[in-house]
Amino acid sequence: MAKRVRSEAMYSNKLRDAVHLLFFQHHRLPGVRGWELKQELGPEWQSVLEVLDKQLQPLDLKVMRVFDDPNIVDPDSTHLADARFYITLRGSIDQKTAKTIGWRVDDIAGLAVAIAYIISKQGKSPRIEVEKMLQEKLPGWRVKMNVDRYIQQGYLGEDDKGILYLDWRSRAEVDQKQLVDLIINFGKKGTPVVTEKNDIDE
Amino acid sequence: MSKQKVETELRGIINLCKAVTSGGVEPFDVDVDYILSVIRKYYPELQDVKDFCTDASALKELSNVLQRQNDWIQYKSTTLYKDPFLLNQQILRMEISSIAEAFLKSWHPVVEMEQLSAKTLAGSLGYWADLIPFGERWKEPELQLVDAEIATLEDAKMLGFLLEEGFNELLEAFWSELGKKVGEEGKIEYWDWIGADTYDETIRRSYLTVFLVSYGYAEIQIDRFSETIEITRNKIQKSNPSKSKLSIPTLVDYEEWRRWRKE
Repeated sequence: MAKRVRSEAMYSNKLRDAVHLLFFQHHRLPGVRGWELKQELGPEWQSVLEVLDKQLQPLDLKVMRVFDDPNIVDPDSTHLADARFYITLRGSIDQKTAKTIGWRVDDIAGLAVAIAYIISKQGKSPRIEVEKMLQEKLPGWRVKMNVDRYIQQGYLGEDDKGILYLDWRSRAEVDQKQLVDLIINFGKKGTPVVTEKNDIDE
Repeated sequence: MSKQKVETELRGIINLCKAVTSGGVEPFDVDVDYILSVIRKYYPELQDVKDFCTDASALKELSNVLQRQNDWIQYKSTTLYKDPFLLNQQILRMEISSIAEAFLKSWHPVVEMEQLSAKTLAGSLGYWADLIPFGERWKEPELQLVDAEIATLEDAKMLGFLLEEGFNELLEAFWSELGKKVGEEGKIEYWDWIGADTYDETIRRSYLTVFLVSYGYAEIQIDRFSETIEITRNKIQKSNPSKSKLSIPTLVDYEEWRRWRKE
């Protein structure tokens, strides 16, 4: 009995450690690598994360994992060690809430268009083409400013040749398949609801 | 055929292939067979090393296009693929608020928290109080001329600059002490071994333990699940220089020592 109580106490310590690691930013960017979690939480780190994910569910939060290579479907232990883990919102937020956290509706729409366009171009596209696309709906003077903001916030990345790609925040926060499906199916009745693929309780 | 024309044609091929790699041109907009025939056509005209290098670059860039075409086919077979033209048309058709709505439904922002707490604030205030004012830190040191004297080895030992005995003797005495403390089991809990009446002595024992482990007099085991650290005494010194070394950080801070003392 005493052994079981001790074991439960240890598990709750691990959960607490996982919360400290995942909620607070330790590096320049948020998120913790799998190997760091393994180092701190021990060999059963994935079970600890599963328990944490279940406990976060009533709070509308979840543990999210993002692989460096988005094409990984069946991850092995090396992929998991290199993956980045985050705490994200489980559900979605409405426009009113988005405004209160500093996003104008046209900034959000611009980001959606830029991400969807880059996805349709297989993950990278020249900046000039993305800006041209955004100019269809946004005033020209805002376009450049918005793209710079998306880059600064980690949603888009730009290489030295002016090619834009989806950066860490888009990969962590945006359910790309759902976004593309929602845009493609816009106006059709019975738009399908798509589920996130990288939930850890999958 | 002029040398300049060959150069221009090959450069044109390289630029076209680079545009595909950067995403500016669709991979299947490039007719690989035709480009290959152009490269083949100009091959007999190549004269010097520079021409051959340009030809090789054109072939390399063309192989990148083939790679991109392969990726494109793989991507098209995934569920993420949607026709770019259809997607663009839909975006143009949609109102800004509808696009924003679609994005918000698929957006799950990362939760980030700042680490500032009452405890860290109190700690920072303590640090601030102890911090020497800037003017004092940057003050030029005041040098004083003193009469230098010669110290003997005994003086240096008395002043604590040198150990009374050699380091090896010290370590072996420490190893013997470990032997007496571990008993029959041959192991002891880390803090029960390094812990002493004063914090300074605890640090000294922890420092010497590092050498006991490194030199093969003892081993350290950490069970991360039960959060226990144990020291096992080796009956004979196991020195294996070829064995890879692993650093195990152990926290021996003042708070931890006080907690151990209370227990």
